[in-house]
Amino acid sequence: MLSISSLTVDYGPVRALSHVSLEVPRREVTAVIGANGAGKSTLLRTVAGLVRPHSGSIHVDGVDITGRRAEDIVRARVALVPEGRSTIPELTVEENLRLGGMWRPRAARAATLAQVFELFPVLGDRRAMRADTLSGGERQQLAIGRALMCDPECLMLDEPSLGLAPLVVTQILEMVRTLAEESNLAVLLVEQNAVTALRVAHTGIVLNLGSVVMSGAAADVAAREELRHAYLGY
Amino acid sequence: MRFVDYLLGGVGSGLIIALMALALVLTWRATRVVNFAQVGQAMFTTFIALSLQTLTGSWFIALVGAMIAGALLGTVVQFLVLRPVARADTSGAIIATFGVLIALQAAAGMIWGGDSQAYPQPFGNTAITLFGRDWPVSAYDLIVVGFAVVLVVGLTLLFTRTDLGLAMRATAFNPEVARLSGVRVGRTLTVGWALAGTVGAVAGVLVAPTSAISPNSFDILLVFAFTAAVIGGLDSLVGAVALGIGTGLVLSVVSGFSDSGNAPVVALVLLALNLLLKPEGIFGHHKARSV
Repeated sequence: MLSISSLTVDYGPVRALSHVSLEVPRREVTAVIGANGAGKSTLLRTVAGLVRPHSGSIHVDGVDITGRRAEDIVRARVALVPEGRSTIPELTVEENLRLGGMWRPRAARAATLAQVFELFPVLGDRRAMRADTLSGGERQQLAIGRALMCDPECLMLDEPSLGLAPLVVTQILEMVRTLAEESNLAVLLVEQNAVTALRVAHTGIVLNLGSVVMSGAAADVAAREELRHAYLGY
Repeated sequence: MRFVDYLLGGVGSGLIIALMALALVLTWRATRVVNFAQVGQAMFTTFIALSLQTLTGSWFIALVGAMIAGALLGTVVQFLVLRPVARADTSGAIIATFGVLIALQAAAGMIWGGDSQAYPQPFGNTAITLFGRDWPVSAYDLIVVGFAVVLVVGLTLLFTRTDLGLAMRATAFNPEVARLSGVRVGRTLTVGWALAGTVGAVAGVLVAPTSAISPNSFDILLVFAFTAAVIGGLDSLVGAVALGIGTGLVLSVVSGFSDSGNAPVVALVLLALNLLLKPEGIFGHHKARSV
C-alpha cells in the first residue's frame, strides 16, 4: 500500500536517512524500531511531507507522492499522528476532531465523527471539553481520532507510547492493531519501546543511524538477541 | 455628571480603537506579526472610500468599497511583503510592516495630496436630547456602536462556528498539526490578513468624520489601538474589544479634565505599566518572552 524506496534525507550536512526502503501492507502493523536518533521520526515526517527528501521515492497504491506538501499528502489518505503534544490544547475535543479532513464532504465527516466516538467512547463523553483537560492516554486517543477523521488508508504513528503508563500503551497499541485488521488500514508505527511495539506488530524493521539493519516478521526480530544488544540496548 | 458625560463621549472613539485593535490581533493571531501598516492600510482605504463617496454620493457604497479594498490590500501586503520576509524571522517581518506603512503614506500623499480633508458625516453629529438634557452621544455614535457590535458578533461566529474559523484558530495555535490535518495553512494566513484589512477599513471609515483624513491622520490611532491590543493580550479578540473601549473611556476622561494633548502620553504610560506588571496582557495566555 505504502511503498518507500531508497529514501535519503539530509539535515544540512547530516545524513538522517540513507537509502531506506520498506513496504507497509494493508491490514498490518509495521513497526519501525531503533534507538534515539536512528531516523525513525524523520522517516515518518518525510512521508507526511513535513521534510523534503534528498532522493528516493514514496508511493501510495502506485501513485508517487514524493515531495508533495503535507496538506496534499493527507488528501492522498496518508495521515500522521506526530510525536508528543499533537492535539491542540486550546480547542475542545470535538474541535480537534473536526479539524481533521475539512476538505471532505460534510456528511462523510459526520459519519466518521460518529465512528471515532464509537471507537473512543471517552472522546464522545468529553466532546465539549478543552483538550488540555484530558489525561495523556485520552489525548493520544484524540490525536489518533483526528488522524482518522482524514479517512486515511495509511496511518502513521510516531511514538504513541511516549509518556504513557505501560497499561495504557498496551491498550492503545492493541486498539491500533485491531484498527489495521478490521478497517483495512496500513499502519506504520514508530516506537522506541521495542518490546511492546514488536508484540503488536506483524512486521518489524530495525533502523540504526539512518539505515535499515534488519527487517522481518515481528516475532523473529524480537527473537534476535544480538540485534537487541547491538541496536536496541537491552 | 461631567465625569459620566466624558465616559459616554468616549464610547464611540473607544469602539473605533477596539476595531483597530481587533485588526492588529487578527494579524497577530494569524502570523505572529504586529502589523504596523494596519493604520496605513486603513488610511489608504479611507481615501478610496472618500473618492467613492465623492463619485457616488453614497456613504454606504463608500464603506463597502473600503471594506473590499481593505481585504485586497491586506492580501497583497501579506502575499508580497510578509510571505518572503517571514521565512527569515519575525522581527524582519515587523520592520517590513513599517516599510509598508511609510510606502502607503507616501503613495496616498501623491494620489490625494498631503492636506487634511473633511470626511462627510453620514448621520447627524448633534447631541441626542433626552430627558430634558443634551447627552454627549450623537446618532452617528449609535451607528458606530451598531457596526462594532455587528463586526464583533460576526467575527466571533466566524471563529467559533465555521470550518474556516476553526482552521484559522488551529493554524494560530499549531500550524504543523493544522497542515497534517489538511488545512491549507498559507491560504488561511492570507485570509487572516484580508479579514484584518477589512476590519481596519471599517475602523478607518468610521473614525474619519471626527478626525478628518490625511496620510498621517491615523498615526495616533495606531498608538491607542496598539496599547489596547497589547494590554488585552494580543491573542484575544475579547481583550482587544474590552481594552479598546476601556482605552477610549480613559482617554476621553483624560482629555476632558486636562487637555486632549495628554491622551497619547497617558496611553503610553498605561502601555509601559502593563509591560512592567503583566507583560502577557490581561486576556493573554501565552508566556512572556524575554529578549
